[in-house]
Amino acid sequence: MEIIQKEENGIVSIAIKGRLDADSSMEAEKVVKNALGGEAKRLLFNLGELDYLSSAGLRVLLGAAKEMRRRDGKIVLCALNEFVKEIFEVSGFQSLIPIADSVESGIEIVS
Amino acid sequence: MENKNSAAESILLVDDNPTNLQVLFQTLEGVGCKLLIAKNGEIALTIAGKALPDLILLDIMMPDIDGYEVCRRLKSNPATSDIPVIFLSALGDTEDKVKGFHLGAVDYITKPFQPNEVIARVNTHLTIHRLKREVESQKDQLEHELKVVSEVQRKLLPKQLPIIDGFKLGAHYETSRYAGGDYYDIIELPDNCWGFLIADAEGHSAPAAVLMAMTCALFRSYPGSAADPAEVLHYLNEHLCKVADPSFMTALYAHYDAKTQTMRIARAGHPLPMVFRNSDQRAIELPCPGVYPLGIEPYEIEIPVTEAKLEPGDRFLVYTDGLTERFDMEENTYGEERLLKPLATDSTSDPQGVVAAIMADVEQFAGKRHADDDQALLLGIVQP
Repeated sequence: MEIIQKEENGIVSIAIKGRLDADSSMEAEKVVKNALGGEAKRLLFNLGELDYLSSAGLRVLLGAAKEMRRRDGKIVLCALNEFVKEIFEVSGFQSLIPIADSVESGIEIVS
Repeated sequence: MENKNSAAESILLVDDNPTNLQVLFQTLEGVGCKLLIAKNGEIALTIAGKALPDLILLDIMMPDIDGYEVCRRLKSNPATSDIPVIFLSALGDTEDKVKGFHLGAVDYITKPFQPNEVIARVNTHLTIHRLKREVESQKDQLEHELKVVSEVQRKLLPKQLPIIDGFKLGAHYETSRYAGGDYYDIIELPDNCWGFLIADAEGHSAPAAVLMAMTCALFRSYPGSAADPAEVLHYLNEHLCKVADPSFMTALYAHYDAKTQTMRIARAGHPLPMVFRNSDQRAIELPCPGVYPLGIEPYEIEIPVTEAKLEPGDRFLVYTDGLTERFDMEENTYGEERLLKPLATDSTSDPQGVVAAIMADVEQFAGKRHADDDQALLLGIVQP
């Protein structure tokens, strides 16, 4: 797993590549926690290069969504591949966290 | 370094030269451990095997069995392999030192030695050895506790599968570590109806086991109507929301009416059930809309309930994702597509036989790769 984090125009964007599973979820959780350390209220996950997502990975994203809700912020997951999208649909998470087809439309959602 | 050595600890000194042995003995008299001595390799091995010292100072150049060979034999014997060995020799070449380390020595002191240096190194290695033992004993203790949790947990699963009129059951349950987060249960309801629950706490080991046990307690004490699958999930969710955060639990509840062979299913984040239809000999994932997992937040929408009528010979499978997300050596997952095959091909009407065929297929796929997650499955076959 590889995580790249940046901040642009008030949007914290986190790109997760590779596999987000039980092994890598701890590291991802740390990065997300750090990224939200400030007052960030707009959070965008770019999952365009995420190949695999396990339930431990879902927990990380859920944790971020709960935190954003707590601080009255916005969150979006962008560019999910078919496999990851299916996990979201079957697990019912799409009703908890907004999903966007592309990073561009994701930016619109959180702006 | 603070000297925490105790008289219960011992150091074995090995040298064929009596004068050297005496100097070494005098040097280490003050470290606070019992000192044992051996004047050749043979005796050293005998004493090491019996007394199991905490540290061995070993001369290299000795007649018959030299220090290298003594070290090799100590390391190949499981009883003595953990004892740290420090080589002590006039040989000062890098090559000799490297050879010593390759054989498993922890340190190397060149003769003639400085007494203070020997004492300092001995104290360091005694401390390391002591800490290592402490960590190991704590690890054993933790493992023991998890084993106890796992034994308790097994008792929460149905001791035996019930006999249902015209619907035979089979099941499989295994945890990736001692304790796990998977759970299945079957309750008998009035009027020849049955309630099936399968659930999977996110994560594994102790925290997941606690959620699993809690779900079991909630399910068995559920005061409402188990004939209403949506109501069952609402109830479990309401209570799990108070304790699950930041984790969650996927679950599927199915109400089965054995008189009409009808399943009514509600699903919370759990994998879709699979059905093998005897009429066209095909297995499919049963489309079954659901809600997000239990323990996250109350459901503000109505939980959908899907009805499925089963026919003689039909098979109904519910499982946890540890099965479909089982990896092989190349990091491929077993997947739903693959699972449909053994569900469909095995021709027996004995559910435990089909379960065995499924597990054999999963194991064959995974090869040498061990399970990372807990795996549970529950299968019913409508008898012809």
